[in-house]
Amino acid sequence: MSKKQVILGAQFPGVNNFTVWSDPQAGSQIAFSSFRRFAETVERGKFDFIFLAEGLRLREQKGRFHELDVAGRPNTLAVLTALASVTRNVGLIGTLTTTFNEPYPLARQLATLDVLSEGRSGWNVVTSPGAFTGANFRRGDHLPFAQRYERAREFIETARKVWAGGAFEAHTRHFDLSGKNAVGPLPQGAPVIAQAGDSDEGRELAASHADLIYSRHGTLEEGQAFYADVKGRLARYGRSPDSLKILPGANFVLGDTQEEAQANHRAIRLQQVSPKSAIVFLEQVWNRDLSAYDPDGPLPEVEPDVEAQLAQGRATRYDQRLETAKAWRQLAERDGLSIRDLIIRVTERKQFIGTPQSVAQEIDRHVQENAADGFVFAPHLTPGGFDVFVEKVVPILQERGVLRRDYEAGSLRANLGLAA
Amino acid sequence: MPEIGKTDMSNIKPLILGVALDAGAITYGPAEGWRDRWSTLFATLDGVAEFATIEDGFARTSGDGPDATLLANWLAPRAPRIGLIADAALNFAEPFHVSTAIATLDYVSEGRAGLLAQRLRGERVSEAIAAIGALDGFPRADDEALDQDGTDAIEVIRRLWDSWEDDAVIRDPETQRYLDGGKLHYVDFRSDSFKILGPSITPRPPQGQPVVAAHWAKGTDSSLALAADLVIVRVEDIAAFRALPGATGKLVIAEIDDTDNLFAAARAAVVAGAGALRIALSGSLEQAARFASDIAPSLRAAGLVRPSAEGPLRQRFGLPATPNRYATAA
Repeated sequence: MSKKQVILGAQFPGVNNFTVWSDPQAGSQIAFSSFRRFAETVERGKFDFIFLAEGLRLREQKGRFHELDVAGRPNTLAVLTALASVTRNVGLIGTLTTTFNEPYPLARQLATLDVLSEGRSGWNVVTSPGAFTGANFRRGDHLPFAQRYERAREFIETARKVWAGGAFEAHTRHFDLSGKNAVGPLPQGAPVIAQAGDSDEGRELAASHADLIYSRHGTLEEGQAFYADVKGRLARYGRSPDSLKILPGANFVLGDTQEEAQANHRAIRLQQVSPKSAIVFLEQVWNRDLSAYDPDGPLPEVEPDVEAQLAQGRATRYDQRLETAKAWRQLAERDGLSIRDLIIRVTERKQFIGTPQSVAQEIDRHVQENAADGFVFAPHLTPGGFDVFVEKVVPILQERGVLRRDYEAGSLRANLGLAA
Repeated sequence: MPEIGKTDMSNIKPLILGVALDAGAITYGPAEGWRDRWSTLFATLDGVAEFATIEDGFARTSGDGPDATLLANWLAPRAPRIGLIADAALNFAEPFHVSTAIATLDYVSEGRAGLLAQRLRGERVSEAIAAIGALDGFPRADDEALDQDGTDAIEVIRRLWDSWEDDAVIRDPETQRYLDGGKLHYVDFRSDSFKILGPSITPRPPQGQPVVAAHWAKGTDSSLALAADLVIVRVEDIAAFRALPGATGKLVIAEIDDTDNLFAAARAAVVAGAGALRIALSGSLEQAARFASDIAPSLRAAGLVRPSAEGPLRQRFGLPATPNRYATAA
């Protein structure tokens, strides 16, 4: 039996502290030349798709704009459509919210991308925090929190009607609309639907409506448990296990030797968590101004303020501040960590760190042992973050017979091994 | 129409030549052929016309076609010279999304982006409302509400383009800051129908303010046109537009649908004070080829149209550079 193929997604490094801007090799986050170079590199590496995250309001903290990390991005659909013009095979997946879009305009835009890319479009379906992001949109905070997945489901179902082409209508709890669309039927039937999020509701939405699930990368065992859980939900919807691909978001650090890779990793972590960033992270848990503290010194003796909400526009919320602070204190004490070293430790994600050979082997192992169907990798540098990966890891995956040597199918759906 | 002799014409400023294309026109046929057709069309027009307006068929039940702004983003890398003015039905779109999509077009095209602010009328309004649903924050179907909402949307979009100062990204190793938060600004727009806080998620586009165009016809409300930089007017309405208070400084684009009397119409446009000429094309490849090989060169030979200029679109139209409204003194 032929080996299970590894699916590779490439996330454009974006608005978070993982993207290193202080490195001399870090390029523009907004010039089209950066996006083009990034896309051309991963297409040379025979990746399945490029993946863009979304953020519809600039991050703020303590009532001020967050200044320490990369910020600013193009309009997702616009830059993906421009990339469709300069690439031939790589898929183009954008994260787009169902909260601050309406089904007909968004479905028509995705249809436009699908036609102009000849069937390479994808949509990572997300919901957005109401009041914070809503401040930038006509309808404002229009959606009760509990209804956001319901709206997302109805949104996808309505979008599918638009993609079919011709007359469409929807009369549901969230939508009351009708019209006619001349763009559909689409080259690949419908954009590839991705769903992000590990919550129970998110998993269920993926099982009922999605082609891909973008999940968290953990240990092999955690991956296997998640994989079994999500794939196990598919039968209920009359779907086969192959019809939903599980792709954790992951990072990698390479070196010619294992030691060099570890040293590179340490250097990158120091760039990612600058002294000031460490204090800001700590402030998110402590919920108070800690700017007077020394990042290279011990944790503050003062306890977190459990009253007000401090950080906005962040995916992570710390509801159990006192417990987190207690755990961090114990860890810092045990290992003798400064504030910065502690933050480097607690914000560490599970990564592939090693030689091209060992990283390729580990990626393959996660896929063959059903902890994943592939990965969405995010490099730490724009735009050259995949250069070494494509030069050194990709040929090994090809050698192992788990990655295409050239694109065979036309559409993203077909490249991913999904039925039309 | 007064007859103008060659001597008179020699003292007059030749027009900027552009074309109008309707992205949803039936000429383009089924969607599988769009890629090739648009590609060929713009390979023909690039460097011949200085700009193209791409009309959007939002919710048009007789054919909506592709999203014009996305199409323009797709065309920009393959047509390196032509200005791309993408149409959006502002009343039925999120101003925030329109502002970032046009700003992105300006990045992709390296300063050749424009927005055609479309004000739907008649049946198109009811079709648009049916397609999105009647929602809070979107205007009612009456003329007054649509006109007001359109000018509000332009104001918000312009503010969002200015919401990052040009030097907001500092990448300063000394202070460990990527951004200077003092160079980002809330636009804090409030009207009766909607509120937008800002700032944009997209840094200020290369032109600062991409060009904004709008249509005007005699007898209609002028607020949208007066909020634009470029005003598209039928030749016979140019004098009436010029007489409007507030029309000073607007560049008039004379709209020509009928190419039979092209030269007479172009002469009349020059005399009436137009700065540009926009000729409607059907999307037929034969017609576009004729435009490039015959019509455009003859207009240029007659001194009615200037040679194609390059560089940022604002500059081509002779529009003044726009200081950032939020910029703090250096």
